Amino acid sequence: MSQTASLQSLESLLETFLDRVVFLKEKKLNVLDGINRLDDIGLLATKGEDVTDDIGSWFAIHNKWLTDRTLKDAELNRITGMLSKIKREIRIDADSSMADQKISSEIDRWNNKKEQTKPILKLRRRPEIAQTPSSPLELDPPTADTISLFVKRLSRMTALFMDYSNQKNHILSVLENLLRKASSETDKDALILSAFIIYYLKQNGYKVEPFVKKLKEAETLYKKGMF
Amino acid sequence: MLTVGEKAYCAALLALKNKEYANALDSFEKAAPYFSTNKEFTLYYETTRLLVEVKRNLGTLEIDEKLEIEEIFTHG
Repeated sequence: MSQTASLQSLESLLETFLDRVVFLKEKKLNVLDGINRLDDIGLLATKGEDVTDDIGSWFAIHNKWLTDRTLKDAELNRITGMLSKIKREIRIDADSSMADQKISSEIDRWNNKKEQTKPILKLRRRPEIAQTPSSPLELDPPTADTISLFVKRLSRMTALFMDYSNQKNHILSVLENLLRKASSETDKDALILSAFIIYYLKQNGYKVEPFVKKLKEAETLYKKGMF
Repeated sequence: MLTVGEKAYCAALLALKNKEYANALDSFEKAAPYFSTNKEFTLYYETTRLLVEVKRNLGTLEIDEKLEIEEIFTHG
């Protein structure tokens, strides 16, 4: 194979790899692009520029995010913060244009809707009394909810572990890959499972500091909801 | 507000999506100081850098510079 042919083959391989990266990150990239555009609009607003058209266009494209539940809490919070900042910059009063007032009400609508769509998990603890033998299986609904939520999470994490441990020789390899998933996909199951494995390893005498550091990095990324 | 690094990483991924590899490399270079410990970032960055180098060798990189051709008449 000539040098040119080798380079062409490598070019094709690298392009295919990067195409796959983009494909896998498509959804996250769209969210990131939307947040980035809103951030740019916020910067323009702080410079005193008229952003009415920009923010109107942004809402036209991204309003569906409120209903299709695409966003994670961290992303929603970030957007809400940016919108609130833009609203402060617009400074609506009686003399404001109709367009500015419309934008202001859209921002309010977004923030109110966001509050409504935010999932609420209420944790209630039962009184610490021994259960009577006559009703050993009786659980009040809130307790049953938290338990069923945890069981679902445990079930998903078990499936994730089985998936990632397939054809691996050591649990450290599984942990490495889970931490990578937790960081790159900001995956909560992978994050919790990684913490669980790290604690298990610590109890068995492994040196876990490097993994704890990676876990903290993954947790920071998860909280930021980015990348 | 997004950090400079986040904006640059975002721009790099968008450039990759549009197959603008030289632009993607520029953005990755801007983002690199903020993601030096992120293995995934490093993988994409280095892959893009290698691809751009391969394309330069093959002459298939998107051209963003204009070629200016000047005709010179030495004898009038």
